[in-house]
Amino acid sequence: MTHPHDNRYPPASPDWTQPRPAPHDGAPRRESYGRDPWQGSYGQGVPQDPYGQGVPQDTAYGSPAQGVPPYDAYGQAPRRSPHARDAHAHGADLADLRSAYKVLRRVSTLTALGSFVVYVVLSCWAPGLMGSQIAGELSLGMALGVLQLLVTFAAVFWYGRSARHSVDPLALAVRERTVRPGRDAGVAG
Amino acid sequence: MNDYGSGTQAVVLVLFSTLVTLTLLMCVMAGPDRDDLTNFYTGYRSLTPFRNGLAIAGDYISAATVLSTTGIIALAGYDGYVLAVSTALSLVLLMFLLAEPLRNAGSFTMGDVLARNMSGRSVRIASCVVTLAATLPFLVVQLSGAGSLLTFILGMSHESGARTACIALVGSLMIIYAAIGGMRGTALVQMIKIVFLLGTSVTVAALVLNRFDWSPGAVLRAAERGSGTGPAFLQQGLQLGTSASQRLDFASLQMTVILGAACLPHITMRLYSARDVPAVRRSMSWAVGTVTTFCLTVIIMGTGAAALVGSQYITAADAHGRTSVLMLSRALGGGAGTVSTTVLYAAVAGTVFITLLSSVAGMTLAAASSLAHDLFAHALRRGQAAPRTEMTVAAWTSVMVGTVAILLSVLVRDWDVAVLTTLAICIGASAVAPALTYSLFWRGFTRTGLLAALYGGTASALVLMVFSKAVSGTPSAVFPDADFDWFPLQSTGLVSIPFGYLAGWLGSRLDHRRRAAESRENRRLYEESEARLLAAAE
Repeated sequence: MTHPHDNRYPPASPDWTQPRPAPHDGAPRRESYGRDPWQGSYGQGVPQDPYGQGVPQDTAYGSPAQGVPPYDAYGQAPRRSPHARDAHAHGADLADLRSAYKVLRRVSTLTALGSFVVYVVLSCWAPGLMGSQIAGELSLGMALGVLQLLVTFAAVFWYGRSARHSVDPLALAVRERTVRPGRDAGVAG
Repeated sequence: MNDYGSGTQAVVLVLFSTLVTLTLLMCVMAGPDRDDLTNFYTGYRSLTPFRNGLAIAGDYISAATVLSTTGIIALAGYDGYVLAVSTALSLVLLMFLLAEPLRNAGSFTMGDVLARNMSGRSVRIASCVVTLAATLPFLVVQLSGAGSLLTFILGMSHESGARTACIALVGSLMIIYAAIGGMRGTALVQMIKIVFLLGTSVTVAALVLNRFDWSPGAVLRAAERGSGTGPAFLQQGLQLGTSASQRLDFASLQMTVILGAACLPHITMRLYSARDVPAVRRSMSWAVGTVTTFCLTVIIMGTGAAALVGSQYITAADAHGRTSVLMLSRALGGGAGTVSTTVLYAAVAGTVFITLLSSVAGMTLAAASSLAHDLFAHALRRGQAAPRTEMTVAAWTSVMVGTVAILLSVLVRDWDVAVLTTLAICIGASAVAPALTYSLFWRGFTRTGLLAALYGGTASALVLMVFSKAVSGTPSAVFPDADFDWFPLQSTGLVSIPFGYLAGWLGSRLDHRRRAAESRENRRLYEESEARLLAAAE
């Protein structure tokens, strides 16, 4: 009964996040990364111990990060090295999910709210236009009102489909990662 | 109005008793175990998305929506159409913006969502106060309406004693549903109600169209004639007027409805009982589909009432046209005494009755849950209450809330309290909506901001409403003879919604300055719980 599309994106495969939705805009994304819980250890311990929070494979990965500004390395090539995944994939997945949700939410909410605001404003301050009869007794205003109700069905269907495509696979990945013991013990419950 | 023979009354009475017996039975059978909180508040999250969607729609379409919206359409035409659209779109907004994070953040009540990152009892108390402030007016307006409605349906004399008895009857039934049934029991009642409601309203709408040979133009022409207003029926302005300030008032009312109607606590509470995020999405899809279908039929029914009954008869029975659905069903039947008239009238009357019962029961349950869970278990006992105690308290708070609502409704039964619906929606839009959106989407939100948004929004809506034109100064006001209306609008949203959002923002800024450590801690907690909020990762 649940979303069949999940099966197309096996969460264990490293490739499924490739068609990531474009970040909504650059600034909030960077800003949110800046406040990431891992940022503290990341920024302070760059040269010697970039992943001070107990990541196992630091010897293998430690050298390439040397001397590279941490934010740029992170922001431009988040998934270049497979070893980085364990350390940062959680944060990156969460950031992806956050921005995917943000896009979905903004587009859908602003469309629904915006169309209605335009409708009310036109009804109130352009009664001549809305009162113009388009077919028999049916005025433009009435037709638009009923049309909004009919479009609602399509909008809900569209929302469900886009959410299954853009949000659900990312959410599944974040869930799978947090199941690992120890990481988010404080969050659970 | 009582010219409909004792045969119809008898059928209606039998139908009412059957409905009551059936729903009570279901409530008892579906009732929760005595010491399982999850079962009482969410029904084990065991409802399928389809059923949960029907229950959400059932909670959302209150008796006030069914009766007042039809009445406004019948009397004011276009203004009512806009109201039907905004009612449907409000639930759409809830689905798009809040439903999924709300499901992940909450467990039982609104207080759980708001207090998840903020310790302290003040948050719990504030969310309980706002829940009560939003649900009690809604309860009172429907209960006091139930008095006049039932006397109308049953053809009793319209005196105070009969109405008081009806209010007490509906009130006691609602207490029983809420206290015994819990979330699962009321969900069943809501499902029966919505199936009934959709069935009858689609039938009535089809009969209206059939009467006019399925020609919308003919219905509209007849409605223009029947309303006695001519072309104005199909233009904005009949409800509140056409001057600049009255148009602003109308726009403000519609914005309040679209922002506030769906985030009232008794509706958001149903979201917590969804199993997971895809389930809540599918539930909301069903709910939105149901509500939108219903709003389409309401448009047809209201227009049909204007066309077939005529506004002078509608206003003669009720100034707000709340009896127009019932009068329409009489007009649609073949004539007094025939079988078709009896069946149709009984079906519509039964629908109205079960709608009333279920919506007041849902609101009682929301208010009682908040009292038991937020105020008793978390504010008084600091989260240490045993589940069994909390369940008992929840049952008793249902009785308490119900009794208070019955008493208030009896007190105001002779006044025209339709304004209370507006008040509840205004509080939803100016206190609940800011608190929820900030709490879910703004990591910089702090406790002072939350309290400011909740109390500030509620207080501004309350104060402005008391001094608005809807309470005094106009012939249709609650106190038409008094004159303390310095707020020149009928609804407060235009001022109180921005005020609620501003209060929340300013309060948080204040905390960032004064209590930097605490606000950093809030931010850290928000970020830590973000995986849970967005992905339901536990």
